[in-house]
Amino acid sequence: MNTTVPSNNSPMIQLKGVRKSYGIYEVLKGIDADVARGEVVVICGPSGSGKSTLIRTVNRLEEIGSGSIICDGNNIHRPMPAKELNRLRSRIGFVFQSFNLFPHLSAIDNIAMSPIRVKGVPRDVAYAKATQLLERVGLADKAHAYPAQLSGGQQQRVAIARALAMEPPVMLFDEPTSALDPEMVGEVLAVMKGLAADGMTMMCVTHEMGFARDVADRVWFIDQGQIVESAPPEQFFSRPQTTRAQRFLSDLRH
Amino acid sequence: MISDIIAIIRDYWLLLLIGQYPNGPLGGLAATLLLSVLAIAFAFPVSIALALARLSKAPLLNWPVTALVYFTRGVPLLMLILWGYFLVPLVTGASVPSFLTMLVTLVVYQGAFLSEVVRGGIVALGHGQMEAARALGHSYLGAMRYVILPQALYNVIPSIISVFVATIKDTTLGYVINVPDLTFAASQINNQLLTQPFQVFFILAAVYYVICWSLSRVAVLTERRITRRRAGTAPQPTAKSLKLAALTDQPS
Repeated sequence: MNTTVPSNNSPMIQLKGVRKSYGIYEVLKGIDADVARGEVVVICGPSGSGKSTLIRTVNRLEEIGSGSIICDGNNIHRPMPAKELNRLRSRIGFVFQSFNLFPHLSAIDNIAMSPIRVKGVPRDVAYAKATQLLERVGLADKAHAYPAQLSGGQQQRVAIARALAMEPPVMLFDEPTSALDPEMVGEVLAVMKGLAADGMTMMCVTHEMGFARDVADRVWFIDQGQIVESAPPEQFFSRPQTTRAQRFLSDLRH
Repeated sequence: MISDIIAIIRDYWLLLLIGQYPNGPLGGLAATLLLSVLAIAFAFPVSIALALARLSKAPLLNWPVTALVYFTRGVPLLMLILWGYFLVPLVTGASVPSFLTMLVTLVVYQGAFLSEVVRGGIVALGHGQMEAARALGHSYLGAMRYVILPQALYNVIPSIISVFVATIKDTTLGYVINVPDLTFAASQINNQLLTQPFQVFFILAAVYYVICWSLSRVAVLTERRITRRRAGTAPQPTAKSLKLAALTDQPS
């Protein structure tokens, strides 16, 4: 591989002048930011601000208009063969708002399938690892349950385990608790907290300000396609610098 | 009437079963079953390939296949059969056995129909499943094979079976190009007896009915087995069949 091994103090994710438009509507208007290794960044902002689009550009589920995104030393949006992009994607965990578990596979098959089919991991190794991951998300007893038999919170925890099974150095979360009943939000956030405590690099779009306060190293406030504020949570929540962030936070409290 | 039918079966059962074989080509029910099984066996993978080509963003794949599917679906099967029968030898100079002509025509025709069923099943799944698979590093075709098709094909089993049944019934059209199938055998018998067309073709209809009905039963059982294996995991198809049952269950 021609990818240089990144040194340990280079950022995990580097966004440089990232712009993206849908037709004449510019969703991302030049995003410049870094996520350090082991850092947890929470992205918040009003709806339509571009936060989901931004996180989806990091594993190239969305293309960008201009700029560059470096993740773990790899330029994600450079022209490359499909195979190479698949390989890069397999190294970036992604958790969807709507879980997107594979409904025709049991929980453990959901987790073990991609390591076997994408990475060629032997079946017994993949299933041993999947069992471990199910334990880690507290669902060891649900290994053979199918997605339709699981609650939303359980499905999202399996989805997190499924992403972790590829052993990615970075995890992206796109509103992981927004589709959940309130009583299930906690169990998913607990798993994410555990991940953060284990040193996982995380980028997380969420409206859970409690999670941001407890877990995030930094909060990015995005509005109208730009990062308006980037600050540690205690600073962001107690002394937001911009009027837009102040208005957003006061709207949240009401 | 019933005694006539029994007599016909008693006198001609071997002709109905295997045609002139071994003195002539394999015919009768054996040929019909062979033609049906081969047509379905080839049409199914062909339909998946056609569906994927129609979903492809590459114009070189998409356009010709779209044209083929539109054309095939818009033309009567009988016309395609006659075309194949008269044109292929004219153009290539090769004499093609009518059985093979019929098989290829059926595969193209039913493959085109089935491809629309398959494509519908894939499109109905929505983006989420493909995105999830791609985000895990699966290639497009890998995602299709392991994530999309197992769900899409399962969801459209009833429509797939309709096409399979139609394929079996359409093998009868081979009669016009002298494919020695069950219909051909029955017609031979009718020509010999002359006075009992109703009885002869009643036997024919009954045999086709049993074949098609058995296939539908197998399909229902397969569907139930998959549903059971997925243990109430396929809420969409279950809900669909429930709703359908509510619509179709009428007092008889």
